Formats: sequence, structure tokens, C-alpha cells
Amino acid sequence: MDKRLGVYICHCGGNISDYVDVEKVREAIENDGCVLMSKTTQFACSDSNQKEMVLDIQEQNLSGIVVASCSPKLHLNTFRQVSERADLNKYNYVHANIREQASWAHSDDKKGATEKTILLVKAAIAKARLAESLTPNKIMAINAVAVIGGGVAGLKAAISLSDKNTQVVLIEREPFIGGRVGQWGEMFTTNQTGNELISSLYAQLVTRKNVQIYTNSEVVSYSGSIGDFSLKIETTPRYISQDCDAKELQKAMDVCPVVVPDPFTFGITNRKAIYGFAASQYPKQATIDDAACTHCGACEKVSKNIDLSLQKEMVELHVGSVLMATGFDPYTPENGEFGYAENESVITLPQFKKLIDNSESKLIYKGKEIKNIAYIYCVGSRQGDEGNSYCSRYCCTSTIHSAIIAKKKFKNIHNFHFNRGIRTYGKQEVLYAESLKLGDLYLQATDDSPAEVYSENGRTWVKVNDILTESKEMQVEVDLVVLVTGMVPRSDKKVSTLFKLPKGRDRFLNEIHMKLRPVETAIDGITIAGTCQSPKNVAESVNSSLSAATKAFSYISKGELETEPIVVEIDAVKCTWCNECSTACPFDAITQGLDGDRKIAVVNTTVCKGCGMCTPVCPTDAIDLVTFSSKEIMNMIDALTEQI
Amino acid sequence: MANINPKFGEKLKEYGAENFNACYNCGTCTAVCSLSTPEDSFPRNMVRCSTLGQDQEIEASLKPWLCYYCGECSLHCPQDANPGELMMSLRRWLTAKYDWTGFSGLLYKSLAVTLISLIVVALGVVGFAYQQNFELESLMHYGHYFEMIAIGSVFAVVLVPNIIRMWYFVIIKPKKKVAFATYFKASGDFFVHMFTQKRSLGCDDNQVRWFEHLILVFGYLALLFTTVFLDWFDSKNLFVIALGYIESIAVFVITADFVNSRLKKQKAVSTHSQPSDWLFVVGLLLMGFTAFLVRLAIDMNMIQSQLWIFIVHLIVLAQWALIVVPFGKWTHFLYRSFAMYFAKLIELSK
Repeated sequence: MDKRLGVYICHCGGNISDYVDVEKVREAIENDGCVLMSKTTQFACSDSNQKEMVLDIQEQNLSGIVVASCSPKLHLNTFRQVSERADLNKYNYVHANIREQASWAHSDDKKGATEKTILLVKAAIAKARLAESLTPNKIMAINAVAVIGGGVAGLKAAISLSDKNTQVVLIEREPFIGGRVGQWGEMFTTNQTGNELISSLYAQLVTRKNVQIYTNSEVVSYSGSIGDFSLKIETTPRYISQDCDAKELQKAMDVCPVVVPDPFTFGITNRKAIYGFAASQYPKQATIDDAACTHCGACEKVSKNIDLSLQKEMVELHVGSVLMATGFDPYTPENGEFGYAENESVITLPQFKKLIDNSESKLIYKGKEIKNIAYIYCVGSRQGDEGNSYCSRYCCTSTIHSAIIAKKKFKNIHNFHFNRGIRTYGKQEVLYAESLKLGDLYLQATDDSPAEVYSENGRTWVKVNDILTESKEMQVEVDLVVLVTGMVPRSDKKVSTLFKLPKGRDRFLNEIHMKLRPVETAIDGITIAGTCQSPKNVAESVNSSLSAATKAFSYISKGELETEPIVVEIDAVKCTWCNECSTACPFDAITQGLDGDRKIAVVNTTVCKGCGMCTPVCPTDAIDLVTFSSKEIMNMIDALTEQI
Repeated sequence: MANINPKFGEKLKEYGAENFNACYNCGTCTAVCSLSTPEDSFPRNMVRCSTLGQDQEIEASLKPWLCYYCGECSLHCPQDANPGELMMSLRRWLTAKYDWTGFSGLLYKSLAVTLISLIVVALGVVGFAYQQNFELESLMHYGHYFEMIAIGSVFAVVLVPNIIRMWYFVIIKPKKKVAFATYFKASGDFFVHMFTQKRSLGCDDNQVRWFEHLILVFGYLALLFTTVFLDWFDSKNLFVIALGYIESIAVFVITADFVNSRLKKQKAVSTHSQPSDWLFVVGLLLMGFTAFLVRLAIDMNMIQSQLWIFIVHLIVLAQWALIVVPFGKWTHFLYRSFAMYFAKLIELSK
């Protein structure tokens, strides 16, 4: 049975009708094969027209509609809903964009615009004639979420999900929960320490029955898709049992021959390959650094609670959604960048923060008492086109806060801030004011003439053309130079690569829409939170993690998910399994399957996005994209090439 | 290349500066200042030099003297950094810097030194009177001579060398080339500014204060002339006697208004009072008032019986001439006039 079509041609209040003779368009198509009725309308999207469309569909018993108006990006859903209200399957509605593609594009040629519009509408009619009723794909959703990363964002997300009665699996790569926040001392604006924050979060989490915590663990492979992800988690043993007490641990540490820079202090102190835990690190169980350990066995000899023969363990888990909270790395300056790694008085902000936390009464670094401190801002941030062009958001506040702490904790400290504009936005502004009142000096450089660190006879100087002093060259001799290093994406990209998460130009993980879909990724069912997405301070990380937790919960809360039926279909007879399509697929939706004993391509319809990347590469033309089948497209092309 | 010296800011605090480090360089102060020009831009620039410890630059700068402290900058400062009071403090610091004896600085920094100096001078006067057996005739005779000698020696020993030092700091040391003839060409400016403070009329809504100040300057200088050269206390000339009365009244009435303004902290300019500020206005007030009383006692034939009035006047006079004039705020009057003169020299030599 042929379609009974209704066609609506919109004036768009003049946006279209000023350039396109809409009445002429209507006349041109009114006698097309199955066009039962055709109308022009001032605003197709208006309430009154929507109601009229519903009545038309019902009264004329229409089996398809064509709306020729603005971009479908704007009103696709509007007219799908109109169809549904009229009990017409929404996939029977076809859109023609005659505003962006005709009236706006050809405002200098009204005749041409009108002719093009006629063809566009005819093409849409050609497509609508073949349109079929479709039903969304339904998939089961497991009420469990994997949270990857046990920093402040991951912990808050886990607590939030657990509150929603969802099973939570918290996976942390390091031996301890706590992340970056666990490494910091006192933080603005609440002046709580990282230890206080992490300890309170861990205490809330550890008692919950619906939360499993895996430390020293990594996701090594995954399969499945939204609603049912299957994750393989590999856990590296700690090699030390919980029965090992502090004394025994000390003995083992004493005999351990391997000394490495301690990542917990950003390398300003060293530790052994076997080591204990800081106050902010959980669980309270010592561990061995598997990467550094040489398995010499010295520790085993002094402690019966150490067993180096333990092997890695693998578990498989099923979750409905994955929440990524993998955090950031501090930027590591290049050798020689502001004297880094060449001048021993030059350290980074994270190192400086550990230094002031670990020092009592006197601030001493490398045996020298520190009095004059220079801070060089935006190292590794706001670098222009070649480097990291973004602002790392936390560093101005963190630096000023640390400088104030140093000034209050130690005597005779003078702080010199060589900045490129201070960004203590929002409530953090009071900190800048306090710092000024305390007498900290701020010197401002331009982007093309940054501060310079140089040393002479073992003395270190910083100089700058201070734009606040008529760009005069100012210099000061300092005991310590702190490079205010920003945030960069994790250097270990295993897990983000595993999930094929798209990255932005800044190399952080990318959301779908910065404003409206800030925690969703292009991979359905995977959300991102915290600093794996972009530089954030603690408050902003927690905001995004609670948002991601709620989004993750919304995927799985109904137990069932609907996905668009616009996916590809494989013609099993034509398919020869040449593998071209699965290589082309950006979502890993096509895998090899069997038709009897023939190898063919099989589509996972929950993963397929309907992007159509696979259809043109198929040599046997065995793939059709629903609603954009070869037949539909060919019919549209025929209509477009028709002579008026 | 200039070295940053955060300790200079600490030093300035001893001269009354406060909270200027709170400045975040918005420049509102410079924008609202009606005297700042693109060539001589202040006060932000001076605040900046102070926080970074650029004392060499401040030493060579005339900007502190170009400010007449209307207080608009402090009123509008979003950070309460009080740039107006910083400019005042820089004037104090400069005064101390120009003074070769170093005594100015001591007086500014230490209230104790100020009080001890005042007491020593007072005791000296009383001791001298005692030595003269409290005889009015000889006291008045020496008192008159003291005025002339004190003025002459203070100028010769302290003020003239200090002016030369100021000239060295702002013209010679920064290697400003000024032709000899220019010194004559610019001299008109010197007198105009010294007697009229014309520039301070450029401050917003400053007419009343400027007028008060003008009357005070003329009243003070005329009173000085009347007592020293017309010998007011010993004069029989009715015109001279009346003139002295008018001048002394003008001095103490206007200074009484200044004292009142400082007590009530009515304007930004009178909100912050250092001991040196009090010493200046109160000293001037007492000078006018005691001179008035002395002449009144003479005219009422009470001076013999009320000799203490003259001794008090002599004490005030001695403290004024030996402390306030050479080392105190009085010098601002002189330096400011020379600053305008030097500024003109520099302008003409461009």
C-alpha cells in the first residue's frame, strides 16, 4: 500500500518565505504521487500548527508526514512528538531543511532558492514514501556502576551511587585510596587538610555493603555496552598480609635495598620498594611497589607476613555503567624550563606544598634555610598554541594559599609572585586580598616576555619586565623558586584508551557538550568526572562527580534502556566477512559472527550509533543503515536530479 | 635593572604608611586624581615603587610633592590601600632623606625623641629665664634677638644644605641637564607656588581649604615679619600693633579649625594624624595664640605681673624655631615650593 503523505512548508515568519516562494513550492509538490495534502504555515513549530498537524494526521489517516522548515537539529524532536501524539510512528516523519540549505544560503537568488526548495521537498517525499515504522531497541541494564579512580571525585561518586542503592565497584590503580587530594595538606577555602577530607569519605564508604573497593587494581579489558559492561580487573598483590605490624614492617623496610623517589611527596623524599601508608592513605595496609621491587627476598627473611610468591589475580565484573574519575598528573617542566632540574633551588608547586607540610619551625630545602621565595605562575598552562593553552584553574589559589601558610608557619619569609594575571576567581578572591595585605609582592609578566630564572655563583635570581612598573626590569635574589605547575592528563592512558574515550584538543577526556551534557561521553553508558575531564579544583571535581553519578544512575535506574533503532543491518547473504566494516567502525559495534558455518559481520545494536561509517566501505554492499538505506538515498538522489 | 627590596615597605610604615601593599594595581587612584598627568602619573606609580622598594626612584622623584592630599584616591581605593596617606608618608620619608643631620627621620619615627626634644628646649628656655632672674626687659630683648638668630642659623645650617641635597637628588644624580639660564626663567614659579600654593586649587572642591591655607601662609609670614622686623611687642605704632593682632588672630583661628578637623577626622586628609602633623598645627596655633596674649598683656599692663605668659610664648617660639621649622612639617612648605621649581626646571629642559 502506498503512503498517504501530508507535507507542511514553513514560512519561518519570513526567514524562508522572504526568499522562497513557499506557495509555488507547495503547488509543485501537491500532485506528487502519494501526497494527500499539502499546506504552508507561518510557523510549523507553533502550538496551533502542531495541533493542526495532529488533527490532519488523524482525520486524513496519514501514514507519513514531511516537514520542510529549519534544521532538524532544532525541531526534529518537536515533530517526532507531534507524530506520536497523533498515534503515528515517529519514524514516518521526514524533515527537509529548506532554511539553512535554501533560503539562507541563496538569499541573493530567490528563483534559484525556490527551485532548490522544490527539489529538497521532493527528495524528502521520496524518502518518506519508503519510511517504515520502527521500535526502539530495548536492553537490560544491570544495577551496578564501576567507578574507576579512588580520588575525591571517585569517592564522592561512589558514595552518591551507593546512596541510590546501586551496587558500586570502586577500582583504584594505586595501592591506596585518596588520589591527589590525599597528598595535599591544608586547602582553601575550608582550610581542611586532604587527610581530613579523604578520611571522612573513606569512613563513609568502607562500611557500606553495596560498595566493593579494589585497590592496586586495573581494568585490563572490557566488552559489552551500556546496560551490561563486562570488566576484567587485574589486582596486583600487596605481598604483605594485614598481620604485619609496624615494627615488623620497619625491619623489612630497613633491609629493602631498593630506594626510589616517593611519588607521594612528588619526589622530594625517597622511600623503599616496601613501604607503609600515610595518614590519608587507605586501606591501612603496607605494600610493595611491584614496579620497583627486584624480588630479592630480603624482606621475606625478616618477616613471615611477607610472601613474594603471590600472583596477580583477575576477576570479571558486570556493571551497567562506568564512571571515569582517573584524575590528573601535575605538569612536569622540561629540563631547563625556568631552571628546572638544572638549578637545585627550583621545585614545583606540588613539591613545595609537601615541603611546607613536612617542615617544622624552619623551612629548609637541600640544607639551606629558605627565606625569599619566587613563584613563577602558569608553568605548563596558558602556553599558547604549541603547548597547553588552557588555564589549570587551581594553581593561582593553591600557590597564594601555600605562600600564606609558609609566611605564617615560618619566620622572615618573603614571597614574590611572578604571575601572568591572578585568577583567584569567586570566593577565592579574598585569599588574594589577604596575601596582598600580608605584604606578598606580585610582579606581572606578559606572555611574550616571561620571567627568567638565572644563577650566578650558586645564587639564584629571578627577573622580569614588570608590566605593573612600566615594564621596567626588576630582579630579586631568592632561596627557592617554585614553578606553579598546572594539570595535565594522566600520562598512563591505558584505561581511557581501553574504553576508546574521545579526547579534546587539550588531551583531557571529552564530554559530549560542555554546557548541556557535561559528564556524558560519546560512549553510551560511560561518564566522566573530576580532573580527567579538565583541570578543576576540589569543589568543581566533586560537583562534576555528583553530576556524573546521577547521570550514571539514570542509565540503569529503570532496569531497561531504550536506544535509537537507527542502526545498520547486515545482509547475511551478501556479507563475505572481509573485516572492512569492523575496521571502519569507531565504536567497535561490529564483530565477527556466524551464519550457519559462514563467517559474517554481526552488529551489536546497543553499541551502534548509526554513524554510517561502515556502509560505504562494504565491497559487496551488504550493509544498510536503517532510515538511510541505499534504496532511500537513491530515491532521494533521483528526486533531486529531476527536471522541474 | 632594579632590585626588589620588600624591606623598604616596612621602613615606610614607620613614617605612617599603612596597608599600601593591599594595592592590586587597578589604577583607580591615578584615574580619580585631578593632579595626575600622563607625564607625572601618580599615586599608583608611587605605591608600586614603595611596595617593590624602589627607594632610588622615589628619592629622585618629585611626585610626592606634586600631591596636595585631597584624599580622593583613598576614598575610592577598592582595596583600602590608602594611597593618599602613602604619598604623605613619602613626603615625610623624603624630608628625612633630604635632611643631612638625620634628625628629621628620628622625629618622624620616634614619638619619644620628639617629646624629649620639646622638653629639652622648654627646659632651656626656663633655665635661660632663670639665669636672667626672670627680668622682663632682658627676656624680651634676648627673645627678639633669638628670633633673628634662630631664623638665620636654621636656614644656614640646616635648610639651605638640605635644599641643596634635594637639588642633588632630583637634578644632579639622575643626570638631568638643566641650562644655567633656566634657573632664572623658572624662578617665578617658585615664588608663585610658595606664596599661593596655586597647584592645590587643581584638587576637587579644595577652594575653602586652599583659601584658609593662603590666609595662614600670609598671616604667618606677616606675623613673622611684624615681630622680627617691626618689633611688634616693643612697638608704639598703632598700625603695627593692630596689624600684629590681626595676623596672630588669623593664624590661631585657622589653625584651630585645622586642629578641629583633625580631631573630628572630617576629611580623608585629616583622618590620619602622625605626631609630626599634630606638632605642626598645634605649634602654629600656640604661636599665634601666645603672641596674641603677650601683646594683649602688654597693652593691659599686666605683663610684669604675668611674666609666665611671655615665658610660655618663648618656649613655644623656641620649640617652633628649633624643632618644627628645621626638622618638622614646616619644611614641607619649603620643599614643596622647591619641588615646583625643580619640576619647572625639568619641564623647561626637555
